[in-house]
Amino acid sequence: MVPRYVDVRSKLIVVTVALLLAACQTTSGTHQVYPGTTGPEGEPLSTPPKPDAAPLQVPEVLPQAQVPIPDYPKTAGQISGAAVTSLMKRASDYRKAGQPDQAAGTLERALRIEPRNYFVWSALAQAYLAQKNYAQAESMAQKSNALARGNVYVALENWKTISAAASAQGDAAGAAAADAQIAAIQARLAAAAPTAP
Amino acid sequence: MAVNIRSIKIAVISVLVLAISIGGVIFAGYLVKLDREIRDRFAGARWALPAQVYAAPQELYAGLPLNSGDLVHELQRLGYRDDARLEMTGTYSAGAQRVDVYARGFDFWDGVQAPERLSVSFSGDVITDITDTDKNQPRDLVRLDPMLIGSIYPKQGEDRVLVKLSDVPPLLPKGLVAVEDHGFYSHSGISIKAIFRAGVANLRAGHVVQGGSTLTQQLIKNFFLTSKQTWDRKFNEASMAMLLESHYSKDEILEAYLNEVHLGQDGNRAVHGFGLGSHFYFNKPLNELRPQEIALLVGMVKGPSYYNPRRNPKRATTRRNLVLGIFRDEGLITDAEYQADIQLPLGVVGGRGGGVERYPAFVDLVKRQLENDYKDEDLTNEGLRIFTTLDPRVQETLETHVMDQLPLIEKSRKMKAGALEAAGAVTSADRGDVLALVGGRDVRFPGFNRALDSRRSIGSLAKPFVYLTALEHPEQYNLESMIDDQPIELKLPGAPVWTPKNYDRQLHGPQHLYMALAHSMNLPTVRLGLSLGPAAVLKTMREAGYAGDAKALPSIFLGAVDASPLQMAEMYGTLASGGFHAEPSAIREVQTKEGKPLQRYPLQIKQVFSDGPVYLLTWAMEKVMTIGTGSSAYSVLSPNTVLAGKSGTTDDYRDSWFAGFGADRVTVIWVGRDDNRSTGLSGSSGALRIWMRVMKDLHVRSLDNIPPASVEEISIDPASGLRADEQCIDAISVPYLRNSGPQEWAPCAAQADQSGPMQWLKDIFGN
Repeated sequence: MVPRYVDVRSKLIVVTVALLLAACQTTSGTHQVYPGTTGPEGEPLSTPPKPDAAPLQVPEVLPQAQVPIPDYPKTAGQISGAAVTSLMKRASDYRKAGQPDQAAGTLERALRIEPRNYFVWSALAQAYLAQKNYAQAESMAQKSNALARGNVYVALENWKTISAAASAQGDAAGAAAADAQIAAIQARLAAAAPTAP
Repeated sequence: MAVNIRSIKIAVISVLVLAISIGGVIFAGYLVKLDREIRDRFAGARWALPAQVYAAPQELYAGLPLNSGDLVHELQRLGYRDDARLEMTGTYSAGAQRVDVYARGFDFWDGVQAPERLSVSFSGDVITDITDTDKNQPRDLVRLDPMLIGSIYPKQGEDRVLVKLSDVPPLLPKGLVAVEDHGFYSHSGISIKAIFRAGVANLRAGHVVQGGSTLTQQLIKNFFLTSKQTWDRKFNEASMAMLLESHYSKDEILEAYLNEVHLGQDGNRAVHGFGLGSHFYFNKPLNELRPQEIALLVGMVKGPSYYNPRRNPKRATTRRNLVLGIFRDEGLITDAEYQADIQLPLGVVGGRGGGVERYPAFVDLVKRQLENDYKDEDLTNEGLRIFTTLDPRVQETLETHVMDQLPLIEKSRKMKAGALEAAGAVTSADRGDVLALVGGRDVRFPGFNRALDSRRSIGSLAKPFVYLTALEHPEQYNLESMIDDQPIELKLPGAPVWTPKNYDRQLHGPQHLYMALAHSMNLPTVRLGLSLGPAAVLKTMREAGYAGDAKALPSIFLGAVDASPLQMAEMYGTLASGGFHAEPSAIREVQTKEGKPLQRYPLQIKQVFSDGPVYLLTWAMEKVMTIGTGSSAYSVLSPNTVLAGKSGTTDDYRDSWFAGFGADRVTVIWVGRDDNRSTGLSGSSGALRIWMRVMKDLHVRSLDNIPPASVEEISIDPASGLRADEQCIDAISVPYLRNSGPQEWAPCAAQADQSGPMQWLKDIFGN
């Protein structure tokens, strides 16, 4: 019943169809709070468009060049509250001033306010990279990817961090894998005309 | 004879001169020695300064779900006082939709926050706006000063919080001088007048009622000498006092006195100096003390034990009022102030509730984590400032429900009061920060720390790791896989035959994998574990954070594994964060006593499981809460709150566990007996009762249930376990790892008999 071998081309087709369908979905706004909760931290969180959620019912295959990118948030400001936005700005100032540890401390403070803000995790990964803490840079970027649920803009930054961290650690295979992800995302971005919300 | 007499005279004079010279040299040598002692003592660090431990500061920002009542509660915990004038830091004024605060300044790890007057506005239970009212500027983010929750002092040791003379309220040094040493600014270390006056007074009374020691002498006594009343000691003291005066200014001596003086005892800890005294008795910084509070502390100098305001409030009040009288007579306060102040209560905070030593279990964890990086002397001597992860609000919630529920559980089970013990931990889901820790039902007692040190069998808390191991093999298992519920007999070398049973001793027929977990069924779990192998399951547990020495035996499937509540929080935290492990961390930063950043304890995570299998497991653990052994939680929790959890019960009902999480918090509760006897409690009837109330009061956030890219949700007909469509009325949506779900349509589906679109998919996958 379960396929053990899946032809890569077939897989591509399936994913392409899924993405296409996802593009047709309307996406909800980017400033949503978890429904029905009054948590101690009213973290604004995007509900990411679900590129893979559509049922596989339309057997047409379209060329990849026409696949649009869902309307993912592109900047931290789109999903962050004012407190986190101001901390991220402060962190970026620290980094520019050559104080990555202060930057990381400030970003951790932001995470305590919005623990699932994948832009903050992504920035934290970059701060660790600047500190030459490569293992943590990779982990934070992976965490960001896990929370970003397919947001290509954040994922692109994260894979760049992972690639740099892997090369710095002499992990050529890891760097190559990350570079492949970067190339794939860049190809998607180049091919796709961004959709209006 | 005359010659003889003369020679004798000369000899005597020579001897005398010699003796006097030698005596002079010896005396000079003695003075030089004393002088060096004094200078050595005064030159460098005068005191071993214990490290100070702070809770996490309360952050305030627009959007924070905190109502005005919560904020006032928080301010009161920090020793803020209701005073609408807002003339002094540490005061506030509260309305229903607005709280005005004069916030204290604080030297944070990442910079100084100046004192500022703030106006915090609310809409219902949420902060909407924060304004700096002095500058009339909006503020995005403000921290309240963090609560001082303890210090790390040596055994039998002195604890103190240093103050500078320039920072203390002027009434304190003036009042102290007026009461203890009126001639302080004119004498040269000793005061003949004072000695004479004291002598007369003592003679008159027939016993010692007054000391003639100056502040300088008292300081010397405390610094160098024992309190034994001998003549040579008195002589030493007087000499040293005069030497001290010759080297140091009156202000330097007074400042040293303010920091040295003994003001009370707290178990093994000696409370020294007005800085700590202020926190210890009034739970606020020295510069916020009012005249009657200063008078009490000044009065206590005479006998901190005799005038202990907690134990002898009447005596302390009389003494305070006497001191206030001196303040008035000296013109330090007006008569009107005097009349008003003597009417006021002592205002001393209760016992150990003063913020210091309030959270022994947590501070214990902080000490242990610090010991990895610092030598004991660094911690007890260097005055380090330790910033921790403790969230006083979360801690209070955990404490409240442990203390309230245990007696109720005992009563409902007709147990002797006090028979049960409990421990618990709350951590942040994505970072492993320890937010609250309770080590026993007597939450203020610094005894056996069960949250860290008890190693109890974890029972069914182990099961999620069996199921996670299974779900990591999508080619074999998914949430809908059927698992037999049949008797098992296992013969292991050198052990009796193992015949595990379900808790209800019944057999239920084949079970869906997720149902077996939801109902915590033993036989399907063992069957599943055996097919995966104990080594694989133990590996999963270790990756999640288990660090014990359990052997890879089948009994681990049912939790024959010992762990502490905090270790369980670590393991469940790995599940809560989607497969990223983080060590439980209690410390954020360490500063030197001057406020310079010394060390940061950065967030450290590591991905140990892929997100897909963890998502599936979490889905099953949500079923534990909705249809399984955790469902009674929703008698208290809102049905909209999506949580994942697992109960744990051990053999003969010795241990009652509940562990689980929402999107932001992981909570683990253990209930049992110290003598390891049966409690008759399952995880659901014991620990869960505390757990669900903690989760409710924490306003824990719902799990969001947005599947990762590696997971697809498929509509399933529960009867057949096959794909459903709109025709299937009982259909449920079940997550599968991508490409591992069923391909065939259920009998109820319209597509069942035709070659519908699925045929296309089947063709692709060559099924």
